[in-house]
Amino acid sequence: MVFAGSAAIALFGALLAVGLKNIFHNILGFALAMLGVAGVFLSLGSDFLAAVFVLVYVGAVAIAMVYAVMLSYPLDLPQRRRSVPKIAAAALLAAIVTGVLWLVVRRAPWPPPLGAPDDVAAAQTGYRFLTDYVLAFELISVLLVVAMMGAVMVARRTREGGSGR
Amino acid sequence: MTVASYLFVAACLFGIGLYGLLQRRSLVAMLIALELMLAAVSINVVALTTLAGRDGSLGQVVALILVGVAAAEAAIALSLFVAIHRARHTIDVEQLSELTG
Repeated sequence: MVFAGSAAIALFGALLAVGLKNIFHNILGFALAMLGVAGVFLSLGSDFLAAVFVLVYVGAVAIAMVYAVMLSYPLDLPQRRRSVPKIAAAALLAAIVTGVLWLVVRRAPWPPPLGAPDDVAAAQTGYRFLTDYVLAFELISVLLVVAMMGAVMVARRTREGGSGR
Repeated sequence: MTVASYLFVAACLFGIGLYGLLQRRSLVAMLIALELMLAAVSINVVALTTLAGRDGSLGQVVALILVGVAAAEAAIALSLFVAIHRARHTIDVEQLSELTG
C-alpha cells in the first residue's frame, strides 16, 4: 500500500518535472517525485535513506535549482518550441529503452517474495561505512569539498569587468 | 511486494528521465531529468539488495554514495549554468553550439 501510493506520487511528479513548460513547475514536480522516491524507500524498510533523500533532494538540490533559475533563466526571452520530429524521436527512444527494461525484468527469474522486508538499521549502514567502505566514505567527503570549492570558483564573478570570461 | 514491481517503477522513472533529457532544451530541465534517472538507479539498487539479496545495508551504502555523487554533480552543474548564462546570456542547449564542427 505504501509502495503503490509512493510509486504513483513518484511517477506523477516525474511527469510534471519533465512535461510542464514552466521551469519552476518542473522543479516543484521534481521535489514531488523525490518525495515519492523517499516513500518507495520507506516501503523497503530503508528509513534512513528516505530521510537522506528528502533532505538532500527536496531540501538542497531543489532549492539550489531555484537559485540557479533565478540567477540565469531567461524568463524575459521568448522560448522557441522544439520541433515535433525531435520530440517524437526522444519519446520513441525513451519508450524503446523502457520497453527493453520491462522485458528484461519480466523474463528474469526472480526469487519469490519474502514478505515485508526487514528494516535496515541505520547503525548497520554506518558500521559498514566506517569499516568495509571507509575509502568510499572518505572519497565522497573529498569529492563534496572539491565540488563545493569548484562551484564557488566557477560561479563567482571575476574581479576585472564582471563578464565572467 | 515483489522485486519486479519495484524494478517496473524504476524503469518507468528512468524512461521519463531519459525522455526529459532528450527533449528539453533548458540546461536546468536536463539536470532535473538526469537526477530522476539517478533516483531510478537508486531504487533498483536498494530493491535488489533488500528483496533479492541477503544484506540490505550494502544497498544503502551504494545508494548513499550515489546521493553524494549526485549532490556534488548538481552543485557543479548549477554553478556552470550560472557561469554560462553570464558569458552567453542563454542556457538553451541549441544556442550553445560553438564547438559544433
